[in-house]
Amino acid sequence: MVIGSLVIDLLGPILEFIAPFIPGEVFPLYFTKVYYQRPLIAAIVVSIVAGFLGAFLLIRNLALIGDGLAHVTFGGIAIGLVVGLVDPLWWALGLSIVAAILIDFLSYRKWLTGDTAIAIFLTGMLGLGIVVTRIWGEGSLASVEGYLWGSLNLIDEESFNFIIAVCFFAYILLIILYRSILAISIDSIAARVQGLPVPLISLLWSILIALVVVSMVQIVGVLLVTALLVTPAAIAQLVSRSFLTCVILSQIFGVITVLLGLYYSTELGTGSGSMIALVSAVLFVIVAISKALIKVFFLPNENTN
Amino acid sequence: MLNHLKYELCGTMAEDLLLVCGEEILHVSNLSVNRSGNEVIQDINMSITCGEFVGIVGPNGGGKSTLILAILGLLKPRTGQINVYGKAPMSKATIGRIGWVPQAATELPHNLRITVKEFIQLGLLSSNFLRQYLDFFISPPAFFKQRKKNQIKIDKIIETVGLEQYANTMISNLSGGQRQRAAIGKALASEADLLLMDEPMVGVDVDSRNSIMRLLDNLCHDQNKTIVMISHDLASMKRTAHRMIYLEHKIRYDGIAEDFPDLSSLAELRGIEATHPEADSTKSDVTKSDDVVIIVSPGIEGGES
Repeated sequence: MVIGSLVIDLLGPILEFIAPFIPGEVFPLYFTKVYYQRPLIAAIVVSIVAGFLGAFLLIRNLALIGDGLAHVTFGGIAIGLVVGLVDPLWWALGLSIVAAILIDFLSYRKWLTGDTAIAIFLTGMLGLGIVVTRIWGEGSLASVEGYLWGSLNLIDEESFNFIIAVCFFAYILLIILYRSILAISIDSIAARVQGLPVPLISLLWSILIALVVVSMVQIVGVLLVTALLVTPAAIAQLVSRSFLTCVILSQIFGVITVLLGLYYSTELGTGSGSMIALVSAVLFVIVAISKALIKVFFLPNENTN
Repeated sequence: MLNHLKYELCGTMAEDLLLVCGEEILHVSNLSVNRSGNEVIQDINMSITCGEFVGIVGPNGGGKSTLILAILGLLKPRTGQINVYGKAPMSKATIGRIGWVPQAATELPHNLRITVKEFIQLGLLSSNFLRQYLDFFISPPAFFKQRKKNQIKIDKIIETVGLEQYANTMISNLSGGQRQRAAIGKALASEADLLLMDEPMVGVDVDSRNSIMRLLDNLCHDQNKTIVMISHDLASMKRTAHRMIYLEHKIRYDGIAEDFPDLSSLAELRGIEATHPEADSTKSDVTKSDDVVIIVSPGIEGGES
């Protein structure tokens, strides 16, 4: 987990340097104080990876898997708080990976559709999490609830290291598997015929989603994971002309969403997760409307969509 | 090499057949395949040589798709053997040499937001897809050289399938026929010599159908590709294919496409074994075994090689 401190050493001075140019009364604190720098960097890193992953999720029609796994994460954290042994996040990670693999397996075998499998895991693990904390948690429900909405205060040094390491690994994996995931999403038979190790890639893909979702949960919260995972990718789809540009734009929109969300949430004193989710939705509406207007006024004869 | 190509077909030593055909690519002997308890394919024998364009026709549930899936190695035979390039399907020697073209017009995700170029590039993926990343670190010049080479290859394929002006168009904006061309292009990118197509003309209009058939015909002649295609369009198959196989659990007809009887309905086709062989006995070497009629036609000139 050295990578976390490396990143903070590297980016800390840069953030401090640009702090004077940052608008707002409270928001510049994120750039000057190490205590706040960590959540800021974590949020930006997570939004980049989430945007990258989101572009693939849209192609695979798996927009809601993030939501499903986030709820599994919630259950995992609750169990982790009660059982102990290791940090609750590791429990969450383990259970999410298992759930992601099972969801992929069930839908690949055509026993359930992807949606149905996600729905079962989502509700089941949420229920398990709440029941476990109610019975054995001795009032720790409040601390679990922090994960529902996401709170930047949750990001201490340990979870910062966790998030950075996980996101770094996930990003590298995404670059390596870029084309293979695309090929499998479009036609898995063709991919197998071409000689791609489809089961292995599917397994890595499941692990990848779980990794990203677990690292996102602390920042935007269980209920709002989809806002960072899917909305930036959806905005990028509106304006991109190829998959590659969609992937790049999706990451850029993710970062914009996070920065705007954090700015407004600190200035207005709302929670970070809910503001990020709101900003991403507003951004989508603005881009969609401007696209429609451009089409009507400037390109009335072109049938692009 | 030629020695192991010797095979017995319908009780006749086929050495003289080899004089007119090219290299044998696919050999199916005594194949039976079960699907959900039913014996869909019952003890069939066939052999396909390099450069042939073989049309497979037959009623729904007659085992056409099952045969293709078995050749691809995705379904296990109950009895019998399949040899592709002299090896078992899905073995190392065959992977990457078989191209698979699905019913792209209907089976591709309808909102596929990737460009034609990106789509066809996916065909380049093979079992050693990790090599390029190693190359990038080991010898960057080799990596970029390969990249350049791939680029040229993809451009050429796009030209072959006649999608030059659509290279940067999203797949989701293409018509059914154009999508089909893109799917063929993807299969060509893998350098497959044997293209297996499962009803690729579904949802494609007559004009596009004709031009795709011309494209396939050219691939057989100019690039010596072997094409095995399932289709319900008897008329255009008869015009373009070199050889037709009528499959209804067993092979009911196997011979020159031109000689395939003109039939107004598929029901009549089932009576074929009673009438056809005698009428054609001057041209073909006919053998009857059980109720399977196999016509080994010395006139199969699909090879052209």
